[in-house]
Amino acid sequence: MKLYDMIRMGNSNLWRNKSRTFLTILAIFIGAFTIMMTTGINTGVNNYIDRQVAAVGSEDYLQVMPAQMAEQFESLMSGSNEVREYKPEDNSTTSQILTDEDITKIESVDGIDSAKFYTMVTTDYVANGQDGATKYQMNASVMPTASMKLDLAAGSDLDMDNDEAQIVLPDKYVKPLGFASNEDAVGKTIKIGATSQVTQQTDEAEVKIVGVQNASVVGMGSAWMNDKAGQLIEDITMAGLPQEYRNQANAIVAQLDKDHISEEAASKVKEQLEDMGYSSMTLTDTVSMIKSFFDAITTVLTIFGAISLLAAAIGIINTLYMSVQERTREIGLMKAMGLSRAKIFGMFSLEAIALGFWGGIIGLAVAFIARAIVNPLASRTFLASLPGFTLIEFNPLYLLIIVLIVMAIAFLAGTLPARRAANKDPIESLRYE
Amino acid sequence: MPKNNTVISIRNVTKIYGHGDSSVTALNGVNLDIKRGETLAIVGKSGSGKSTLAHILATLDQPTSGEVVIDGKNSAKLPRRVVNRLRNRTFGFVFQQFYMNSRDTVLNNVMLPMVIAGVKPSTRRKRAMEALKTVELADKVKSKANDLSGGQKQRVCIARAIVNNPAVIFADEPTGNLDSATGDVIQKLLFDLNRTKGITLVIVTHDMELAAKCDRQIHIKDGQIIDESQDATDSVKSAKGDRK
Repeated sequence: MKLYDMIRMGNSNLWRNKSRTFLTILAIFIGAFTIMMTTGINTGVNNYIDRQVAAVGSEDYLQVMPAQMAEQFESLMSGSNEVREYKPEDNSTTSQILTDEDITKIESVDGIDSAKFYTMVTTDYVANGQDGATKYQMNASVMPTASMKLDLAAGSDLDMDNDEAQIVLPDKYVKPLGFASNEDAVGKTIKIGATSQVTQQTDEAEVKIVGVQNASVVGMGSAWMNDKAGQLIEDITMAGLPQEYRNQANAIVAQLDKDHISEEAASKVKEQLEDMGYSSMTLTDTVSMIKSFFDAITTVLTIFGAISLLAAAIGIINTLYMSVQERTREIGLMKAMGLSRAKIFGMFSLEAIALGFWGGIIGLAVAFIARAIVNPLASRTFLASLPGFTLIEFNPLYLLIIVLIVMAIAFLAGTLPARRAANKDPIESLRYE
Repeated sequence: MPKNNTVISIRNVTKIYGHGDSSVTALNGVNLDIKRGETLAIVGKSGSGKSTLAHILATLDQPTSGEVVIDGKNSAKLPRRVVNRLRNRTFGFVFQQFYMNSRDTVLNNVMLPMVIAGVKPSTRRKRAMEALKTVELADKVKSKANDLSGGQKQRVCIARAIVNNPAVIFADEPTGNLDSATGDVIQKLLFDLNRTKGITLVIVTHDMELAAKCDRQIHIKDGQIIDESQDATDSVKSAKGDRK
């Protein structure tokens, strides 16, 4: 028997009992579809993160923290029950606060160009330069590195070293602040309000808009300031605090020099910092942390899909056992007419593979339909704040692999009934009632 | 007797089913030569071992001991692939219960042995049509097997049996499920094939009239050939004598 005839017969035999075959394919479809969708969402999320990172594009800085703090953070996350002995040098101030001394130490590391405190400021509101203008809540952060690229709708990037206080404003603030357009806002001076941690007094700093930024997930809608603007805000929030307080932080931003931007070189710098008692992360590390979080979620969903595929495989075994039973006399006849064991095994295996194939193909078709429906819906509703985020993205290669895996599972499930068919004795089978 | 004149030859064949106390001896030291182009009837009561003998002759079953020689070759020593091809090309089968795929068309049923043989689709169709013309059912080619009468079904089965141009047709009670008029048509068809194409016929039956039309009858009782007769009248007489 030719392979073509085996495929043809296997496929046409499937449709002898339509409802049974349909239900088996339905079970396979559910498993295949679930896995395809979770893979699609995973690809969508990862692609989005990658695009955002590519847009930000600064791989040339490290965020440095005291190692102890990173450790504590980790043990908090993993819920460690360990009780540690206290040593004087472990006191939370020396072990968690970074000072000028640390900056000097970090700057001495080979491969690090410069280092500065990571300034964490809290702003309260933004208002137009005119007196009595409406105030709007806004959070503004100091940009960690000059090399960070923002997706600008108008204007230019921040000049980090400029003595002028500068800000890049998210585009959503342009209209409320009374500017006619993005271009109109550029060059205007606005007021940023902040409150002292000690005196509770609210004060304002004047900053100049140099650019308007398109909405993006990076910064989560916050405005970006240069170092000078950051200092002005710090002056307000730290009013009443001793000067020493301003020369320390929980984190340091270390700029890598040009020769150490590659992942390999950066990891060497990280090793050196680790030996010195610091923990450091590149943007890639942060991104891979976010990604591994999404990966974990999609892995769980994929496991659910795999479980339903397992149930479907049992369905295949059951369907084909029934099919072998029903066609006992036909098997006997074909064996009498000289069809070999291997070919009979092949015929039933191909039937199983056909079940897997149709389940996978229907899963594929429905997945594409689901994508066409879900993506526009998602970007109108819960992803409206994340422009450019397509929730479900299909990688054709992955989908092909999923279909092939489903077919392989179907084949494996089919080997049991196919073996039973192949081992049948022709005479006994012909006598079967 | 020259070797090439014998299609199938069995020597001292014994078939025992089961083991120990519950074992049943279906055949006990049977010797038989089937000559090319002859018509042979295997006669016996049910449980006599006649079906077992036919199955062993057709290589559908293997003897517990003894030799089955087909075209001068010991079938036990042939690879399974060769035996399968032998059953596909050299033998044709006609059964009492027809064994057709009732939901499939007449054409597909007739083409099955050629599908198994791996014959090209265009050749399949041509040869199936020729075989259906031989059994005078060319007009039913597209009908579903289920829509045919019993006699028509058996004619389709004969078409299926001859489609690979076999040397031997094994017919197991070919008229057993048919009324005598249609049974006669089937008998005539089988003997015509023997005459015109020289196909050897091995017919398993308990119908004495059908057996009498064959060149030779062998009677099986308790797993042994008890009577072998070349003369039709004698055999009928002895069969009648058996019944008394």
